[in-house]
Amino acid sequence: MRVLLKIFEKISPIFEEGGKLAAIKPLYEAIENFCFAPSAKARCAPFSRDPLDIKRYMTMVIIGLLPCVVASLYFFGLRVIPMIIVSYMTGGTVEVVFSIIRKEPIAEGFLVTGLIFPLILPPATPLWMVALGCAFGVFVGKEVFGGTGRNLFNPAIVGRCFLVLAYPAVMSSSWVKPGHGITGRLLEYVSSANIEAITSATPLVEAKHGLEDMSHMFMGLDISGCLGETSALMILCGGIFLLLTKVANWRTVVSILGSAVIFEAILHRVNPEQFAPGMWHLFAGGLMFGAFFMATDPVSSPSTNEGKWMYGILIGVIVILIRNFSGYVEGMMFAILLGNIAAPIIDEMVFSVRLRLLKNE
Amino acid sequence: MKFRGGYNIRFQGKPGGLLKDILLPEVLYLPLESGSFNFSALCATHGQDVGLGDVLAKDPDNHDIPLLSPTNGKVNLEAAPGHITLEDLSDDSSKSYTYHDELEHIHKKMGSAGLKRYKLLNLGAWEFVKEAYTGQIPNPLSTPQAVIVSTFRLEPFLIRGDVLLKEHLRQFTRGLEHLQSLLAYQPIYLAFPKIKSNFAAKIKEQIRGYAWVKLIEVPLKYPYDSFEIISRHIGLRHSTGSIWGVNVEGVLAIDMALTNSKPCLERAISVAGPGALMSVNLRLPTGYPLSKIKNEYGLQNSIAIDGGVLTGRLLTDDIKGVPTDCRGITFVPEQLGREFLGWLRPGFGRQSYSDCFLSSLCSHFPERLTNAVKGELRPCVSCGFCEDACPAGIMPHQLHKLIYQDDIDAVEKFRIDLCVECGLCSFVCPSKIELMQQFREMKQTILKEKEIAAAEAAKEAALESATEAE
Repeated sequence: MRVLLKIFEKISPIFEEGGKLAAIKPLYEAIENFCFAPSAKARCAPFSRDPLDIKRYMTMVIIGLLPCVVASLYFFGLRVIPMIIVSYMTGGTVEVVFSIIRKEPIAEGFLVTGLIFPLILPPATPLWMVALGCAFGVFVGKEVFGGTGRNLFNPAIVGRCFLVLAYPAVMSSSWVKPGHGITGRLLEYVSSANIEAITSATPLVEAKHGLEDMSHMFMGLDISGCLGETSALMILCGGIFLLLTKVANWRTVVSILGSAVIFEAILHRVNPEQFAPGMWHLFAGGLMFGAFFMATDPVSSPSTNEGKWMYGILIGVIVILIRNFSGYVEGMMFAILLGNIAAPIIDEMVFSVRLRLLKNE
Repeated sequence: MKFRGGYNIRFQGKPGGLLKDILLPEVLYLPLESGSFNFSALCATHGQDVGLGDVLAKDPDNHDIPLLSPTNGKVNLEAAPGHITLEDLSDDSSKSYTYHDELEHIHKKMGSAGLKRYKLLNLGAWEFVKEAYTGQIPNPLSTPQAVIVSTFRLEPFLIRGDVLLKEHLRQFTRGLEHLQSLLAYQPIYLAFPKIKSNFAAKIKEQIRGYAWVKLIEVPLKYPYDSFEIISRHIGLRHSTGSIWGVNVEGVLAIDMALTNSKPCLERAISVAGPGALMSVNLRLPTGYPLSKIKNEYGLQNSIAIDGGVLTGRLLTDDIKGVPTDCRGITFVPEQLGREFLGWLRPGFGRQSYSDCFLSSLCSHFPERLTNAVKGELRPCVSCGFCEDACPAGIMPHQLHKLIYQDDIDAVEKFRIDLCVECGLCSFVCPSKIELMQQFREMKQTILKEKEIAAAEAAKEAALESATEAE
């Protein structure tokens, strides 16, 4: 490792201002600091700092997503791997290009976006659509607003929303019947050639004909859906890990899931014929995945704890409204987008109350 | 206000509870500038012989707080710029300066209350009294709405409050009585850590006799020892009058000045930290050569800090002696190597505010801190750690964004003035934003703008009255 560090030390002047490759300094810095912990020292108080940095913070989200990646590999086969690679490559390219143009360091946020994005796509989405959607999401959802930390929307959701609106036919017919048995589809590669044979609808679509068994939905067996959302068990594994590390805020998760289940249960009480039970909706579609991994994005959700409760309840209620009373069968995507829009307003409301309380001090 | 936020960093290098006396060195360097004072009015001349307790300089901006000579010696103003150097030292107290004649004169002129305050100011006890909300020195002739006496200190690597208290409990209670004699009916709050020990019980027993002392139990969590946090907890407002905050050494200095009419010339400081060879508490005169302390107690490749690790200031080579307001010297080792793939490591040996390292599965253990930032500067992602840790109940992340936008009015509206500058927000920030530094600078800017506005308003008022007179 010492050799590598020496190489870095030797070539770093080329990337400094006035050097030959000064233009791509952000890229070089990212690689150097990826390999070796940054050498910066505290120049002003406090003279020692907590070991947590943004790299670690984002890594936690990636670790939290791994159970879902494993589940999607099992259910939908090897195609998941190229989808993730394509997503990372396009998202990363957009991020790097923008960092170079802006002369700002590359932020680690795209590491999460690049992994979440394929996980919220139907399993048979063509790779060019993955690339297009991811590029659109990172560009419009994040870079246009000024990069990580300043984005209003969750970039992955913006990308998916774009695909749903631009290619509704492909997006609604790319479902794949998941594998089962010991190996699942681990040894298969679902391509556009054999997709027709195994296309199947998601439980939310099938609900129009009859409800899927809830225990199947918990495990994800025989349930079609987006890559990451099928197995509630795996989402819980990763999601609870995120809650324990304090990276995802439990208030958001609890309020979304709680309000959605309670609201749906009330509807079910009123008219059991038309509305499914509350717990059924909890395991169906992207509600759980969205609640654990997407709505908890700290940048696009309200920054205050009280605001997070309001934000979660808003999303939970909207998702049930969309699922039951609109033309769409799944509403998590739009619910989170609407929540993102409301987040700054919610924050303003909480701020004004807090400032009024502080005024007396 | 309820106690909220706060965080106890588990660290290696605590100074412990013993106090060690240090022999007089050959030469003393008294810095004219320190964290809170600027002794710009010199009272001694080059080559003058001064005695124990003589006034060497005064701070004209801080009610003429004096810089006292800790020993007998010869003044040298040229040896080190920015310092008064004392040579040919001897601590023969028989030569010490007495205020006798002068004191009688003051007594006649100002009465006994005035005499007490005069003594406190000129015997070096007044510099221990701080305004709770602003941290500034209050006017010695004023009367506060309340006094808070704190018996503990929680910032990492500073001398604990009970070290002095254990040795001088009698003097402490006598000091409290003196403090009470300065007040009319205003209460004295004794902030006391919420712990059960024989010593705590003993102090409580001692205090029980004083009806005018109100005991406030405070949880042992940094920075609940801050006078501002304690006053807000009690419900004392800044707007209704000044609140004095005094530490144990302040009470002892008051006792020394009023009981014995002697100046307080020695300081009890900690010399500790993860970069210290050994962590001890020392009793030494102000101006003690820093190079000596660095050589004796500091490890190689470590930086020296005046104060605690979270709020202190860097001791550069320009500062040659222990400053008057020093509470401790903290050594922090420099980060030397760079860890390969550091962000991926499980982190069994890393204490973190978050639970992102496997150390959170282990029981508590002290970690050896270094001065590494341990990450790169990134935009704020609103993770909310700063708000969770903030003891003042303000929103550091939002203040940071408003400062970035340069919106001073909004910064004031979000109550930057309530910030106690404890440094926890900067410590926990995963984006490595220098929050506390930004807040300190912003507070200075706001103060300056207010001064300018006040000066202009005064000018206009003067103009108006002038035109009216015409």
